[in-house]
Parts: sequence; C-alpha cells; structure tokens
Amino acid sequence: MVRFALARFGAAVFVLVSISVLVFLIFFATPGVDPAARIAGRNADQATLAQVQAEFGLDQPLPVRYALMMKHLFVDRDLTSFVNRGVLVIPQIVHAVPVTLSLVLGAAVLWMVVGVAMGTLAAAWRGRAADPLIVLVGVVGVSIPVYWLGEVVNLVTQSRLHDSVFSWVPPLGYVPLTQNPAQWALRLLFPWLTLAVLYAGIYARVLRSEMMGALDEDYVRTARAKGVSERRILIKHALRCSLIPIVSLFGLDFGALVGGSALLTEVVFGLPGVGRLTYTALQNLDLPVILGTVLYAAFFVVLSNALVDLVYAALDPRVRHV
Amino acid sequence: MTATADRKASEDSPAAPTPIPLAAVVTSPGPWGTALRQIRRNRSAMASLVVFFLILVVCLLAPFYASSIAHTDPFASNVAGTTVIGGQTVPVLAPSTTGLGLGVTPIGPTWDLTHYFLGSDGQGRDVMARLLYGGRNSLLIGFSAALLCCLLAGIIGVLAGYFGGVVDGVLSRLLDVVWAFPVYLLAISLSVVLLTSGVRIGPISIGAGSLWLPVLIIGIVYVPYVARPIRGQVMALKEKEFVAAAIGVGSSDLRIMRRDVVPNVAPTVVVFLPLMTALSMLTESALSFLSVGVQPPQASWGTIINDGLDLLYTRPAVTLAPGIAIALTAVVLNLFGDGVREALDPRARLRGAG
Amino acid sequence: MSSSRVRAGAAVGAAIALTLSACTSSPSPTATGTAGSGAADAAAPATFQTQHKGGDLKLLAKAAGGTLDPQVNYTLQYWQLYQAMYDGLLAFKKVNGQQSFTVVPDLAQALPTVSNGGKTYSFTLRKGVKFSNGQEVTVTDVAASFKRIFTVSSPTAGSFYSGIVGAAECVKTPATCDLSKGVVVDKGAGTVVINLIAPDPELKYKLSVPHASILPANSPPKDAGSTPIPTTGPYMIASYDPNTALTLVRNPSFTEWSHDAQPQGYSDTITESFGLTVEAAVTAVENGQADWVFDPPPADRLQEIGTKYANQAHINTLTAMWYLPMNHNLAPFDNVKARQAVNWAVDRNAVVKLYGGAKLAQPVCTFLPPGFPGHADDCQYTAGGGTTWTAPDLAKAKQLVQESGTAGMEVGIVTTDDEVNKSIGQYLQSLFTQLGWKATLKPISANIQFTYIQNTKNKVQISLSQWYQDYPAASDFLNVLTSCASFTPGSDSSINISGLCDKAHDATMQQALVTVRTDESAANAQWAAVDKQTMSDAVVAPLFTPKLIDFVSSRVGNYQFSKQFYMQVSQLWTK
Repeated sequence: MVRFALARFGAAVFVLVSISVLVFLIFFATPGVDPAARIAGRNADQATLAQVQAEFGLDQPLPVRYALMMKHLFVDRDLTSFVNRGVLVIPQIVHAVPVTLSLVLGAAVLWMVVGVAMGTLAAAWRGRAADPLIVLVGVVGVSIPVYWLGEVVNLVTQSRLHDSVFSWVPPLGYVPLTQNPAQWALRLLFPWLTLAVLYAGIYARVLRSEMMGALDEDYVRTARAKGVSERRILIKHALRCSLIPIVSLFGLDFGALVGGSALLTEVVFGLPGVGRLTYTALQNLDLPVILGTVLYAAFFVVLSNALVDLVYAALDPRVRHV
Repeated sequence: MTATADRKASEDSPAAPTPIPLAAVVTSPGPWGTALRQIRRNRSAMASLVVFFLILVVCLLAPFYASSIAHTDPFASNVAGTTVIGGQTVPVLAPSTTGLGLGVTPIGPTWDLTHYFLGSDGQGRDVMARLLYGGRNSLLIGFSAALLCCLLAGIIGVLAGYFGGVVDGVLSRLLDVVWAFPVYLLAISLSVVLLTSGVRIGPISIGAGSLWLPVLIIGIVYVPYVARPIRGQVMALKEKEFVAAAIGVGSSDLRIMRRDVVPNVAPTVVVFLPLMTALSMLTESALSFLSVGVQPPQASWGTIINDGLDLLYTRPAVTLAPGIAIALTAVVLNLFGDGVREALDPRARLRGAG
Repeated sequence: MSSSRVRAGAAVGAAIALTLSACTSSPSPTATGTAGSGAADAAAPATFQTQHKGGDLKLLAKAAGGTLDPQVNYTLQYWQLYQAMYDGLLAFKKVNGQQSFTVVPDLAQALPTVSNGGKTYSFTLRKGVKFSNGQEVTVTDVAASFKRIFTVSSPTAGSFYSGIVGAAECVKTPATCDLSKGVVVDKGAGTVVINLIAPDPELKYKLSVPHASILPANSPPKDAGSTPIPTTGPYMIASYDPNTALTLVRNPSFTEWSHDAQPQGYSDTITESFGLTVEAAVTAVENGQADWVFDPPPADRLQEIGTKYANQAHINTLTAMWYLPMNHNLAPFDNVKARQAVNWAVDRNAVVKLYGGAKLAQPVCTFLPPGFPGHADDCQYTAGGGTTWTAPDLAKAKQLVQESGTAGMEVGIVTTDDEVNKSIGQYLQSLFTQLGWKATLKPISANIQFTYIQNTKNKVQISLSQWYQDYPAASDFLNVLTSCASFTPGSDSSINISGLCDKAHDATMQQALVTVRTDESAANAQWAAVDKQTMSDAVVAPLFTPKLIDFVSSRVGNYQFSKQFYMQVSQLWTK
C-alpha cells in the first residue's frame, strides 16, 4: 500500500512537471506572443525593447527561462504578471479561490441533493411513467450548453423580466461572504442553479443506472425474500452501495471544478474566480498567470484522482499494480 | 465461442462489471445481434434516432434552402443590403432613428421561410440559412472528433492494457497529463497556437481556420476519458483463460489482439461513440463561444451563439435558436447513447464537462 | 496610448463644446455637423465650485490597466486617471474641447524660454508644491524624474526623449545613464534647463504627457508595478488590486496652484472597479449603481442609451483613425493597383455601420483625421469625385485588381477577435472575395494582434489597426506610421506596419518638421501635401474617425472632455 502511494505520488509530480513544460512550450511556440514588445509599449525604441527583453530574461534560452520562472514561482514566490506589471501571481490565485469555492460548494450541495433525489426516485419508480420523465429531465440538463443557459438566465433576470418578476436580482458580480452574507448568496443564486443543472443531470443518470444494477444483485433478492420492505431495500441497500461510485465521481468533479473548470460559468456571470482568472490570462497571453493557474488546476485534478485511486486501492487490492 | 468470450470478458473488467443479461445471450445469435434487437425494442432510443435523422437531413439540405428557398449567401456580408417586408423595402441593418440615433439593429425574425425567417445577424446574413449550415459543421465536428477520440483511445487503451510494463507506463503518464490539463485550458491554449499558424504533421497539413482544427483539438482532449476504461478492460481480459491460453500456445501479439482483444473492447468503444459525439458537439460550441472554435465566416451552432450574444438584448433569436438546436441534438444523441449502452454495456460511465 | 483598449470616441468640435448649455434629450444638429451630443457639455467653470465638493465617484472597467507607474504605463485607461494625480513641468490645459490641446505651465511657473536656436529650454520651478507624502517638489526631483524615464525603460524613452543631450546613451545602457548635461538644475535659483541635440518643436507636448511626470527623487529605479508613487495632483492612490479595484483619495498636501493646469477635484474618493462585463457595467450605470464605464458600450445597448438614457450620453470625436495597413513588401499589396483597389472598394458607410452607426464614426479617406493639424479635406477614392468620401466604386476596384494581375491570390486579413473588429474583418473578407482574391480572416487575441501585425516575420498582408494620437502634431501620424525610422524588419516593435521605406517620402516629412519651427501654417500645408502623396500611393486604407461615448449615471454633473486625455475624471461632481 505504501509503495502504491509513493508510486502514485511520483506519477503526480511527473504530471505536474510535464504540464508546466507543456504550457511553457505551447506559449513560446505561439507566433507573436513574445511579451517584450507589449511590455515595452507602443512604438518603443529598439533599444528599449532590448532592455525589456533582458530585464524579463526573454533573451535567455528556453530552458533557462523555464528554470527562472519555476524558481520565481516556487522558490522566491514572487512571480509577477507580464501584463499587470508588479502584480504577484500567487496572491492573485489566492484571492480568486474563495470565489470559486463559494460557487462550487453551493452548486455541489444543490446538484447532490437534486441529483441523488432524482436518481433514487427514477430507480424506485422504474417501469412507471415517472422514470423516463426523470431520465429525460436529467438528459436535458446534461445537453444544454452551460454558457448558453447562463446567458439566457442573464437575459431574463437582468433585462427582459428585470422590471417585474426578477426586480430583486442584484447586478452580476461577487460580494464576499464576510462582507455581506445575504448579497453573497443572492448574487451566487443563479450561477449555482446554472452549474447545478448540468451536474444534477449527470449524477441522476449515473445513480439511476448504479441503483438499477444494485437492485438486481443477489443480496437485494435475499433481502426481498426475507420480506424487507421495498423502501428499506431501496435506501439501506441499493442507495448505500450505489453511493460509492457517486462519491468517487464527486471527488473527481469537485477537484476539477475547484481547479477552475467552472470557467464558463464564472465568465458568464462575471465571478472573479480561478476559472475567470485563467480565462483572462489566456486572453491576455499572460504566461506567468497561465502557468500559475494551470498548475493550480492540475494540482487539484491530480490530487482528487490520487485520493480516489487510493480509496479504491484500499478497497480493492487488484487495482494496486498500476 | 465469441459470445462466451465476450461475457467472460465483461464480467470482471472494472470498467464494465455487469454482464449482458443471461437470457439475451443464450437465445441470441451474437452480442451485436442481441444489442440490435434490444435497441429496436427501446422506444426512446428509436424515437431519438428518428429525430436525429430529421435534424441531420434538414441540416444537409442547407445549400438547397439557401439557394432555392431563401435565395441568400449565408457567408457573404450584406451590411448595406435591403429586404422587403410587408411590401416595404427596409434595410437589413437599420440604424437607429430615435433619440441620439446610436446603434444599428439587424432585422428580427420575419417568420417567413423565404427570407430572414429568424432575422439577420450583425453582418446582415440570414440566420436561418446559417443555422442549417452551422448544423452541418457542428454535427460533422462532433462526429469526427468523437470518432477520432474513440479511435485514438482504442489504440492507446489496447496497447497500454495489453503490453503493460514500459509501454503502459509511458502511455498512462501521457493520459494522466492530458487528463489533468483542464479541458478548456488545453483546448484554448492549443487553439491560440494553431489558429495563428495552423499545424503540420508529416504530410498532413491543416491550415489555420480549418474545420479540422477543432476536430483535432477536441478529439485529443477527451482521449483519456475513453482510453482509461478500455485499458482497464484489456488488462482484465489478459488475465482470462482464453487469452492466457492463446499466449501459451505462442500466438503472435498481433493475432491475439485482433482475434481476442479487439472484438471484446469494440462494444465499449461503440457505447462511447454517440455520447462522445454529443459531448464533442457541446465542447465545440463552448470553444466557439470563447472564439477559439470554428472561424468566421464559417458557421457552427457555437459561432452563431457567439455572434448572437452581441445582439442578445435586441435580437435574442440569433442566440436562442442555435442553443435550442444544440440542446435538442445533444438530448437525442444522449438518449440514443443510453439505449446503446443499455444494450451493450449497461455500466459504462461518461463524465460531463462544465 | 495603448490602442487596444480604446474604441469609440468623439469629439465635439470646439465651437459646440464651448457653446452648448442646456440639456437636450434629442440630438441637435450642430453648426459643424460633426457630432450630436446627448447631454450638453457645459463650459468648464473658471473656478472651483465648492458647493459640489464631496461624494464618492464610482467608475467601472472590464479589466485593470496594468502597472501604476506613470512613467511606464502607456494605456489611455490610466493616463486618464493620472491627470488627476501627476504633473509634469507642463500640462495640457484641463478644459473642455479644442482648448485642451493647449499646453500650459504646470509645475513650472511659466512656459519655458527657448534659446540656442530651439535647443535650450529654461524653466523655473513653481515653489511650495508638495508631494502627497508631504515633501516639497524640488529641482532635484525634476532631474531624477528625467533620468528615471530611462532607468525604468519607459516606452517612449527612445521615441520621445532621446533628443535630450546624453539620452541616446541612456536608452541603450540605462544603468550608466548620465543626463547631467541634458537636464541642468540650479537648486538655489530653482531652475531647470533642458538641452537638446537638435531643435524639437514637439518637446512641449512630450513634456506634458504622464511619462514626463515629476516624481520624488527616491522613487524606485525600476517599474513600481502595483506600488503607488506619491503624487502632486488633487488625488493619490489609496489601494490597488488589478482583480478588484483602484481607489483614489484626496492628496492631503494639495492646494490648487493653477486651475488650468491642475484644478481641484470634486469627489472625495474615486474608485475604478474591475471585473464586470461591459453589459453588466452598462446596466449598473443605468440603475445608478455606478457612475461611468471606461469600455465602450456593446452594440446592442447603444439604441437603449441613445433613447432612454440620452441625457447621460456624451459623444465626442477623437483624433484617431481606424485603418488598413497594407504590406508593401508582400504580394499582392506590393502592387500599388492592388492597394488602390482596396481604397476604392471599401464601403466606409458599411464599416461605420458595423462600428455602431453614423453617429459614432465618420468615414475618411485622408491619413490625418479631420480637425487635426495638417488635415485638408481631400478624397482620391470616392465614386463621383469630391473632397469627402461618399460611395465606393466596386467596378473600378475590380478592374484595378485585374490590371494588377493579382486576382486569385490568397489574402489573409488579421484582425483582433473582439466583436467590432471581427465583424469588420468578416465584411472585408466578403468584399475581397468579391474583388477576386481568395480572402481568409484570422481573428487573433487583441493582446497580441498589435505586435503580431508589426513583425515582418509573421508575413501579414493586410490588417485592421487603429492609431490614436499621443499629442496633436501631424508628425505623430505621418512620420511615426510611414517613415523608415519606424520600420524595423523582424521586430515586434515596427509601428510602420505597411513597411514603406521611401527616401523621398522621408525627406518631405523632414522638410515639414523643419518648417514647423518657424511657420506653423506653412508646415501644415506641407503635411497636407505629404498626406495627399501618401494616399495616392495608397500606403494604407483609412476607414473612419471614431467617436467616443461616455455613458455616465444620472447623478453626475460637470462633464468635461479633453481632446487629449478624454473625460476629466476629477471634474465630475456627484453632488
């Protein structure tokens, strides 16, 4: 088990290093991306351009540039943006995390509650009219593009019906929980709902099929034969067993979302979280920030993957030979 | 023989632990036949298939619609153009005449199939005609990307699972890297590079702005989602007696893979195909929304949504129509995919992206 | 100023600006017919109006504008805010309209005395002015600030200030910069003498922009980034986070010394918040939750602003141009006929429509924008002739393409990927296809497009670009954008995007630069001739002169528009 954990850790480090190298190479392979001229300013003199290149180490060979950047990011922790000069990358990410966490946590509560309820009900009502209906609702949730739904929600709540039904909806943006809890919740309400629609659909579908499988298992038949009530079977046996894959799926999704995968939702609703930070950095081709956010995101994905793997390995020894 | 092999294979594989219902296997001529019969009985899957074909046919008729019904060129700007509504000639893009006279508004839906059924976009182009052309591209990209993804994933999954050791180590790490690189970030980063310079792999060269760029990008980013379960399945297969026996009698690797491994993982790949098509289509639209997907003047549902967002407050139809089209297509693909999955491999899972 | 962040702008001509008084809800056709402004722009009050003092001004911007360092930052967004914070020896007059192009003494007591054939400028420093940290501004600070332009590698160090004696070396090796002969100060007398290697009639402008701000002598010798530097003006920076907001508060050491150069501000605090989309920001201003949006309003909100909120919209013409630079060194635009074809073919009215309509832009076919020194009405590419543009001549354009033998060639159009630029790009792509070229559109990130199209290595044939003046002189357009000096093959900083390098052309421009020292109107006539020649060679295809909408909340009063630095933030009052 310890060897497995160590191997998993080694692999995780390898993945993070590869990603940083990859981002770095993609960046410098992009034509016109050299930030020196943008930093130097419009119509800068060639000598000024050369000065800036030297100052930012852009005249160094690629491996040296990479090493310098990693040193600034991890050793000195003073990596600064190429676009907002003098602005440190790490504090920017640290400031963005609470926003993303607020969005993802709220949405996660919603989608878990709704998704589990829908999945369980669909399984319970299998063969009745309600089952395909719930399935359909779930599929629709999965099939609507998130950003489109967000834009339509904005259109309705901020403009079309803003004078009547939705006059209580505050403008887009984020208010910290510590500053005004009511505004925090109110402003996040529609982002939560929008993000939850997608995931509730996914979870309902997965849970339904897991429970269908579980209901066919021998132990359920045994329980039934013993005269245990259907409701008890459903909750105590089928749901409990089916929740294990759901929880692992949740681990993966949660990790990815906290890492910035809620990018589209954050962009559409103007939430200054990690996803939007990454998006702006990509738009500005601000390499230090891109590197910082992508590594941060990858860290969470790798972490959640490793945790899920470890849990599985603890439960099922066959998985251990990686 | 193959039927039993299939059953055994799927029984213990971590990715697909539930066997095909026993009754179906016993009475059927083969797993594919069984699956086909099961799907035919699945009403929602069949209804979805019909709707999907309707969408496909309507989209394929795009050139006919544009040239013979709407008489418009959906790729040419018509900024100064006019059209006739209710006997009156009006500009397609009408400058505001009230107040300060700021802004220019495209004409809204006429609900008349012969011109500007859904109104015009910011370039004075017929949105209905673009919607149909866009549908062709969205479907083409969705399907091609899914095919590419499943193909790559199949190859990587089988190689990694079968050979294990160093091959598996290298391929798995590669998958880990792609997996941990957030989908949109990878797609956007790749797009930024590729859009300016295009890509050249040996003799194949894809120009900047080509439709095949989003196909390539989407096809690659989802490989781990499909390759991982396949790898697991192949690893489990290798432990089975019939494969072990084949190795024992000295059959060549190629022969074992062709005879015993590929036929067993093929159903999993097929299960993924419609679901991946829906996912790829949604991803394409998201990329176009971030302006890194299909490039103008080409259309896809995502680019039309993106064009329409600039007109959202005045002409919401431009955004709403392609959004509904994407959602509808994704719904029928997902429902059909569920049907296929239930028929072939009831427990295959697919992650979403948000 | 960084062009990528600027879009619309607009200029009320001097006449209108100075005479309009009452608020009107409908556009009144103005005497010059250049612009209608919804809300009337009152003439600047001659003195501070104490009754309006106080309140918090809330500004919004999509994103932050980068470093706070006034000697490094080159964005309009912060240059506009610096007006209320930093001062140079000279300043552009902070008033409404055409007068705002006038240079007045700021930290200097009076305009400089020029001697030595235009090579020596002598100033006397104003006494008693203090930085926001309480220190008095001395000639030592002035000398240090000029040196700092080079030690921080200011964007304009080479282009604006290298004419100072000793500066050329400073640009190359900032570490050993020695300006002791170029900027000579006398502590006892409080005088500053600037020595140039050659006469520079534009020096007064160059000393009035933020890069020539006077900062404390102990300011860091590198880009200060997000750390504020003490100010001399009515406001100083209290806090800055590029992801949330920039906050200005009153400078406790400030007392008004010249109402023209640096007037007292009205609001107690000024906050520019970042992060909302422009759509959301416009909504916030409509609902009175914010007072002003830096970014131009999106196209689908214009009509609403022009009708429901006409009283809150201010439209001003900018001295700027949107144009298509065509690469002289690459087919098909190495052929003059191909370049002329583009000029004949582009329907400026269509492009104006895509920009937001005729009220927001004016079609042009000269290099120098209307109202700019050296501009003379002239149009060589309009159907039916005339001195202003009326309609395209597609037939002529097609014929020229055939004659040039370039039909069937591939033409790549590089634009930025934002809404307006991309839509103009799509129009051009469609148009070029009609002309007989195989046109493709490459919309790329706004942040790299500007440097991408400059570098000859990227082999850009034609692009859509913008040029916004740094200061009101014809050379800032023609000399900067078409001279050999601005063309450096293989460099990302080669602002002569067309890549034209013609000795005779350069010589005529040098001639005009010499004439301007003695006779401004003769120089303007020479520039007009250069403009005409440039257009017959079709070096570029000018499209239109943009106008700017400032959309303010209903509580805001005293809107003043400087043609140099746009809306004067410190002069808005909310009480």
